[in-house]
Amino acid sequence: MHLSDGTLRRSLDEPVAIDARSRGHLESCDRCRRRLAGITADATSAGAMFASNRPDVDIDAARLRLGAAEASAVALTAPGRNIRHAPAPRRPLGTWGGRAMAGIACAAGASVLLVVSGGAQDFLSLFQPSKFAAVPVTATDVRSLAGLTGYGTVTGGSTPLRITPEANAAAAAALAGIPAPEISAPAGVDGAPRYAVVNGTDVSFTFLERLARAAAARSGGQLPALPAGLDGSTLTVSINPAMVISYGLDVSSLYNGGGTLPSSGAAVVVVASRTPTVSSTGVTVGTLENYLLSVPGIPTGVAAEIRAIRDPEQTVPIPIPIDVASASTVSINGASGLLIGDSTGIGSVVLWQHNGVVYVVAGTVNAADALGIARSVR
Amino acid sequence: MSQSRGRRCFSGVVDSSAAPVHAVPFVSVRPSRAPVVATSTGFERLFVAEYARVTAIAARVLADQAAAEDVAQEVFLDLHRRFGNDPGAQAPAWLHAAAVHRALNAIRSRRRRGAREERFATGVSQSDDPQAAVEVAETRRAIRAALARVPARDATVLALRYSGLSYAETATALGIGVNGVGTRLRRAEARLRKEVGDASL
Repeated sequence: MHLSDGTLRRSLDEPVAIDARSRGHLESCDRCRRRLAGITADATSAGAMFASNRPDVDIDAARLRLGAAEASAVALTAPGRNIRHAPAPRRPLGTWGGRAMAGIACAAGASVLLVVSGGAQDFLSLFQPSKFAAVPVTATDVRSLAGLTGYGTVTGGSTPLRITPEANAAAAAALAGIPAPEISAPAGVDGAPRYAVVNGTDVSFTFLERLARAAAARSGGQLPALPAGLDGSTLTVSINPAMVISYGLDVSSLYNGGGTLPSSGAAVVVVASRTPTVSSTGVTVGTLENYLLSVPGIPTGVAAEIRAIRDPEQTVPIPIPIDVASASTVSINGASGLLIGDSTGIGSVVLWQHNGVVYVVAGTVNAADALGIARSVR
Repeated sequence: MSQSRGRRCFSGVVDSSAAPVHAVPFVSVRPSRAPVVATSTGFERLFVAEYARVTAIAARVLADQAAAEDVAQEVFLDLHRRFGNDPGAQAPAWLHAAAVHRALNAIRSRRRRGAREERFATGVSQSDDPQAAVEVAETRRAIRAALARVPARDATVLALRYSGLSYAETATALGIGVNGVGTRLRRAEARLRKEVGDASL
């Protein structure tokens, strides 16, 4: 089936939002490529028209003007013309907290996804990702991916995650084993930064044939022939301790059940951790990846996206729920990173890797501010 | 911008009978050029975070910075009057939609009065290069004229997208699904090109 005009148009601006099947179709379909050429010409014309109107605003002057204008308006407002303030239906902060944490979890998610993307070719090889790639997924895909746990057992390792507050950046960085990052304080957040450390832990996935057969049957399919040694193979992702710098909220109190989310205002969390590593027993990571991408239950589109990366040793796929979020590739001080935004433009996440450290910036800020924070990290 | 838009986004209630006007907190900002320190209300943070984008949206339509800043001021004032110091999570989308609607209303009403270029033409008269100034003025005139002629739906998506909003942000401001943005944008760009003509670009 040919691609819609909307899909073709979006492919120009947000190519990562276009799934692998559509990209594959576009590469092979002359008709769609001709349509794309026409769409590109119209978009280029429009872009040229609007390019000359980029304002350069003075925010302080604007604030003063607004204050003066409001003072006049108050003086002139007659009784009976006022507007009753009906509180807006605000997104529960718990939900944002969930989203922020989900952003942070992207880092962890990156590690978890190593299960299907790791590039170690020998037992106990180390995986050192340097890039992140967006893999568009839908809510249905997410449910299907969750079903992958039915193919084996996932264990959280012997050490539960703990978030421990630290007095200063140097102490937190030392415990995380990384240089203390210098960050420009985000605008619009209250209070001084808080520091914490998350302990390291291991997450393991053990492929078990008997569970996989049952899961395949539930999906209405048959398990492909198992490569030798796959049954019982274990991948272990070792997550290193992470330094957490938070603005506008206290992550450690929240995690440990004390504290509350701020009732208003921006909250930003920066996480830095040495790159996680992967080890495998039984079969290589590549063998397990290829097999899992072929089993019944995993959405074909998602499997195609992960295969399309073609750089499993360096690139970690990050699932982007395209129904509610968008993603784009960005450059962070020379490193390739990923910018993820939610559908309201209020929450943003940036993640990148530099010199063996994975960084995540997540918060209730817009994309430009999140990028500004990320690029200030030294 | 319309009140119905505000009600839809905020589920707010417009009541002409009572309640105080919320004093905008910037009245007390000291009159210096130094960066303003820590903000304390949701509205202040919203203003700092969104003023440039709201201005950019209006500028896409009006092709004039001063006029765009006027529109930005108006929509922020309107937002504050309606929803006070803590306008909530949907406020950015409300501002984006309000800015583009107000700017479009400005050029359309001006067009109806037949004096649409009178004010906006002054914005490019200070260029050192007279020929360049003429060309810029002509481009701006063409943009405003085309945006005033194309359907409002097309003009809206063009202004939002070309001010830098993502597809997801544009979708939220328009109240449509993200998949519809590309379709609407493609249609709008085709109409815009037809309206302006390649010779003007």
